[in-house]
Amino acid sequence: MILLVDMDAFFASVEQAHHPHLRGRAVIVCGDPDRRGVVTAASYEARPFGVRAGMPLAEAKRLCPNAEYVEGSPRKYVEKSLELLECFLSYTPDVEPFSVDEAFLDLGRLGARGATMDAAIALGREIQERIAREHSLGASIGIGPNKLIAKMASGVRKPRGLTAFDEEGFRRHFWPRPVQELWGVGPKMSVHLGALGIRTVGDLGETSAAALEQAFGVVGPHLRDAAWGMDRSPVIPYHEGVDPKSMGHEVTLPEDSRDPAFLEGTLLRLADQVARRLRGDGFAARTVTLKLRDFRFRTVTRQRALDVAVDDHLSLFEVARNLWRTNWRGEPLRLLGVSASALEKRGEAAQTELFERDERARTLQQALDRVRDRLGEASVVPAGSLTQRGEPGHVPFGAAQRQNRGTLSRRSAGAELNRRIRREAGRDEGPAGGSSPPGAQP
Amino acid sequence: MPACKTMFESLDDPVDVLTAFLDGVMRPIRFRWQGRVVRVRRVTGQWNRREGQAVLRYFAVQGSRDESYELCYDARGPRWTLKRAWREGA
Repeated sequence: MILLVDMDAFFASVEQAHHPHLRGRAVIVCGDPDRRGVVTAASYEARPFGVRAGMPLAEAKRLCPNAEYVEGSPRKYVEKSLELLECFLSYTPDVEPFSVDEAFLDLGRLGARGATMDAAIALGREIQERIAREHSLGASIGIGPNKLIAKMASGVRKPRGLTAFDEEGFRRHFWPRPVQELWGVGPKMSVHLGALGIRTVGDLGETSAAALEQAFGVVGPHLRDAAWGMDRSPVIPYHEGVDPKSMGHEVTLPEDSRDPAFLEGTLLRLADQVARRLRGDGFAARTVTLKLRDFRFRTVTRQRALDVAVDDHLSLFEVARNLWRTNWRGEPLRLLGVSASALEKRGEAAQTELFERDERARTLQQALDRVRDRLGEASVVPAGSLTQRGEPGHVPFGAAQRQNRGTLSRRSAGAELNRRIRREAGRDEGPAGGSSPPGAQP
Repeated sequence: MPACKTMFESLDDPVDVLTAFLDGVMRPIRFRWQGRVVRVRRVTGQWNRREGQAVLRYFAVQGSRDESYELCYDARGPRWTLKRAWREGA
């Protein structure tokens, strides 16, 4: 049996666990609450108001003005995720973290404890209770004979639900439901399927594999298998690891911008963040993707394949900038993103070809990496990324100090005085400043 | 849904912290902030954040009046900083 543990409203729940007075209240996790951005996560108490992850913060504040808006702390959630992983590993070594808040557990090696549906349900209950007791968090659990059924079952009852299906139960539940509820069928795919008259999971299951192959190529028969609840993908244990497919960063700008210097500076910063991650994990990339979102929320992604794999920020930036110059029509932009894909392990990559021409550049890059490894990301940054630093609308870089903001609903005069004294004494500067808005910092 | 009556403050205030080391585990006991001493009733969460080679240790704590704080310990100083506070509003 396979079990999927899906943490309920994970980021918001971690904040509620850390700060008990937030429990039972609408909590919205976001970047800096005083800046523009999107909702990262909403607690279950906020959801009846219509607040959803990915929604612009301004809209969330209109829908749910009394919520507690909490600046997210990615590191906090990753650490909690690792603690939960330790918990899961105490049951079975076959744990595959699927995302920061989801993990598959293969119970195949547990003997009688994981062999039957009843045994798996009992184990699922035990894990749920332990997560609640030790971490003050809720989890929904899906159980099935494979990953597909476990994953889809986990979404049937939330929060703190537990749902188990065999293949027959899966079909009984999901066949009448819209085809986009099938794991792996996105909005675009459901439109294509709808054009063929396939509107439910059952419709898909009853369509011939040949017809689906003709319409969707090799993916077609896999879709049909999924509709029947068939999935042969293995749980890949944590210790075996899986190489990432892409790495990227994006940022919602503090205000819409059509300033080329600012936008290029932001692109350079994003390229630098991606390059650092690539080098840190020993990868180089052969494809660069640019993402633009304008003030009307129209999103454009464009990508370019490269002849050689690269892992330096200037190469990534050059490609991203060219894509931006080609595709930007001058409209105010709300969001920029840069990502790298078609990843190769650096030893296998052709990066050496690039650097053989410029050994000094490679040596310099390594030296700069060592400085940042030791002193932090903000210690050395590309000068071009500092365009308009300090001006309104600037996106802070690295761990640079932020001024205290208007988040304070109340501040004592004494605290403000102390702050001013420290600032004047030069003690309020430096990289040990406030935490970073998610997605906006290395 | 209960109305929110707390004040959230995003801070960066240096604070003096009385700290215990028990069984190799560090734990804040009390801290002085804005002229008063806050007794830490419960540590509700811990996590770390790297800044270069330095590891900053964060603690989510509850005070004796159920108010909530986030403290950060930076061994480079060494120094403690109060990062965030939630207190019941008046």
